[in-house]
Amino acid sequence: MSEPLVVFDGVVKRYGSITAVKRMDLTIDKGEFVALMGPSGCGKTTTLRMLAGLEATSEGEVRIAGRRMNDVAAHERDTPMVWQSLALFPFLNVRENVEFGLRMRGVEAAERRRRAVEWLERLGMEGFEDRRVDQLSGGQRQRVALARSLVTEPEMLLLDEPLAALDAHLVIRMQGVLTRLQRELGITFVYVTHSQSEAFAMADRVVIMGDGEIAQIGPPREVYRAPANRFVAEFVGRNNIFEGEITDPGTDPAGEFATMAGPVGRLAIPASAAAAGAAVSIAVAADRVRVTQTEPEAVNRIACRLISEEFVGASVILYLEAPDGSEIKAQLGEAELETLDLTPGASLWVSWQPGAAHLLPGGTG
Amino acid sequence: MSGRGGAILSRVYLGAVFLFVFAPIMASFVFSFNSDRFPSIPLGSFTLHWYQKAFSDPDVWDAFRTSLKVAGSVALLSTAIGFCTAYTDFRFGFRFKPAYLALALLPPTIPLVIMGLAMLAWLSNVGLSGTVTAVIISHTVLATPFAMAVIRLRLSQMDPALEAAAWNLGASEWGAMRHVILPFCGPAIISALCLTAAVSFDEFAVAWFVSGLNKTVPVMILEILQGNVDPQINAIGTVVFLTSMTLVVLAQVMVMTRSRENPAKEKTE
Amino acid sequence: MPRRRLIYAMTWRLPIIIWQAAFFLVPLGFMVVMTFWAVKNYRMEPDFVLQNWDKMFSKGYFWDAYWLTLGRATLAAVIASLVAFPASYALAFKVSPAARRWAIFFLIIPFFTSYLVRAYAWQVILAEQGVINAGLSYLGLGPFTMLNSGIGAMVGYLTLTLPLVVILQTFSLASVDRNLIEAAWNLGCSRFRTIFRVIIPSAKVGLILGAVFCFILSFGDFVSPYYLGGSKPPTLSILIIDTTKSGQQWPRAAVVAVTMIATLMVVAFTAVSAAYRKPKQ
Repeated sequence: MSEPLVVFDGVVKRYGSITAVKRMDLTIDKGEFVALMGPSGCGKTTTLRMLAGLEATSEGEVRIAGRRMNDVAAHERDTPMVWQSLALFPFLNVRENVEFGLRMRGVEAAERRRRAVEWLERLGMEGFEDRRVDQLSGGQRQRVALARSLVTEPEMLLLDEPLAALDAHLVIRMQGVLTRLQRELGITFVYVTHSQSEAFAMADRVVIMGDGEIAQIGPPREVYRAPANRFVAEFVGRNNIFEGEITDPGTDPAGEFATMAGPVGRLAIPASAAAAGAAVSIAVAADRVRVTQTEPEAVNRIACRLISEEFVGASVILYLEAPDGSEIKAQLGEAELETLDLTPGASLWVSWQPGAAHLLPGGTG
Repeated sequence: MSGRGGAILSRVYLGAVFLFVFAPIMASFVFSFNSDRFPSIPLGSFTLHWYQKAFSDPDVWDAFRTSLKVAGSVALLSTAIGFCTAYTDFRFGFRFKPAYLALALLPPTIPLVIMGLAMLAWLSNVGLSGTVTAVIISHTVLATPFAMAVIRLRLSQMDPALEAAAWNLGASEWGAMRHVILPFCGPAIISALCLTAAVSFDEFAVAWFVSGLNKTVPVMILEILQGNVDPQINAIGTVVFLTSMTLVVLAQVMVMTRSRENPAKEKTE
Repeated sequence: MPRRRLIYAMTWRLPIIIWQAAFFLVPLGFMVVMTFWAVKNYRMEPDFVLQNWDKMFSKGYFWDAYWLTLGRATLAAVIASLVAFPASYALAFKVSPAARRWAIFFLIIPFFTSYLVRAYAWQVILAEQGVINAGLSYLGLGPFTMLNSGIGAMVGYLTLTLPLVVILQTFSLASVDRNLIEAAWNLGCSRFRTIFRVIIPSAKVGLILGAVFCFILSFGDFVSPYYLGGSKPPTLSILIIDTTKSGQQWPRAAVVAVTMIATLMVVAFTAVSAAYRKPKQ
């Protein structure tokens, strides 16, 4: 494995008495599409800015291609960024915007023009060279911003929530553009977003951040199915979280399942090293929860009351209330809904396979 | 004030206010062509006599030359200093910043007579009293807050990421200033130049104190006023009005936004 | 901050500090110091005496001028605010935003044109043989003396300050939350009462600011009292000019100036505090 392109080594960022980034140890490899994801204020944008040299680190080192970057100014780095507001220069036309980075490097006018036009064509914007920026639509501006950042052929591209201001259908289209571009160019993309769908759709690896710290790193599927802690379980996907105590560390003959007891009753869960009496919490993904009209033949079953339903296109989310008052989410396809009485307040049964639950390390996290 | 009557009343009142505000300007314009020494109704005959009289006087031309020299220098100086201050406010945070801004914006709150006295006393002390330089210095103090306000307003319309984007693309701080900030502020800079020139061109009180024999046009007007009623003032005044009004209109036109320069909500592709 | 960034920052930060220190703070400071200098044989000498303060404060005409100026400026502030209000109200609520922008565009113009020439024009218009009296004589109304009186001075003050007051009032009235106003109407408040109960309190800051600026400008102005108001009794500004130009008594003039500044600071501070004070429920 060749040396990683980007290394965050013990990086901390403080603003006065506030610590925005608590301790960041992260490596990013060449050609990776990495997404930094988390709620507002988690430190993801600060991290990106430290990589670009727009913020100095309070502690620790940032290394790019092995070189220590702490004293390297932003304009001396090769870390072009696509901004949330796009930050296109309104007093320059499209071509001049794209040429800007080349101009700052002292590239000759004719060469600049050629490369700018080449990139505009590549992004489907040929013929737009002499337009003014305010004459373009949102999607067109995006492409110009991308061309402007890529024209200098950098090793990595930083993106700070670039799709946040777009309409939903444009977001889907631009996601495709970005993924295709990244694969064709083979360069590293570091992408900051608060949107799960964007991160999961495009990234090779997702870094979930919360409160200035990394909560979990991994491929999208792994983060989705195996959240490392409660924070990730609550932030990513739709998970139901149950807390309780181990009553019996090994229930069945094969030793695969244990029993826990909590506010919703006794549940069969995957066995682990936890001993009886230990606190435990599990996450059950909403799409692993089955809903039936009549009491099912399942070990984990709970009688609930339907509160509401939410239509999200291909599937529907049902919100149910368990006897102890807690909320349970279930994600069902259209077909499964047909057998159910969906009047609010209706009595329904919720169940899931014991193996569908995922143990959250660290007890109640 | 409700209903149609109210709306009409409002407009009539507005008209009256505008009439009051512009009456002296229009009067001066009309009287400058009026043959009567004491303008009254009915008006006398049309004449260019007052203009001829005023502009055949070499002192008048000298005064205009001095005023032009002063206004030009003041425009450049105060716009430059005003830009520095506006940019500092826009970009940097630092201790005592409120005091810094108060210092920059204080001059318009001091009555001109007092400024005149203070500048006279101090500049006499350093031997500059009675020189054109003295007027330029004093006017720059008075005009800089206007330049700063105009440019600061323009900067607040700028996407804050623009400067960072320039750095990100390889421009040093000085490079970003040269290639991004200054071009963006261009219209506001021109506006500030026009506005500060107008401020200087019309300023009479402080100039009266410090200019000595190097009279600017307003100082000359003041001296004429000390004497008897002289309709030449209307002629000179009309030229002065036209100059200032042109500058102010230009200044305003420069900062009228043609279109929003921040990314608008996008249209369909 | 790394050194190169410090040089960059200071290049922009320092000019105003240097300039204001040298040509604004020092002259004003010098003027304050000068009030304590002695005047012997019509020449100033550095000293520390209270002679100038004594002389000035003991003069009857000083205090007459003081109260006159204070009174006139206050009156100007009140009258200007009242005269401006219906116009500002109309601009804020009764015309289209485009019309409002154009109105402000035009109001800014006189503000930056020669106040002196405008005052002179009024002198001609208001004179005994002037346009207004001539017009009135056709209606059989006798000539009114408008110049050399308080009325003349007031016309002058309005000429100086009305555009600014209208602009400031319009801005603050236009930014009153429309929802508040509609809520008041919904609850049955008549238009008239809404103005006093809702709109004026919400726009308080801008309205007071307009009055304060008017006060400051009128307090320090000498053109209106001199050319339109008859110059006797003199205002403080006229006093400064007389003392400086004819008497060369700079330290005494400085005493008047310092007193004026002190008064203005007190008035401005009080007014602004009142503006930002939370209303009693």
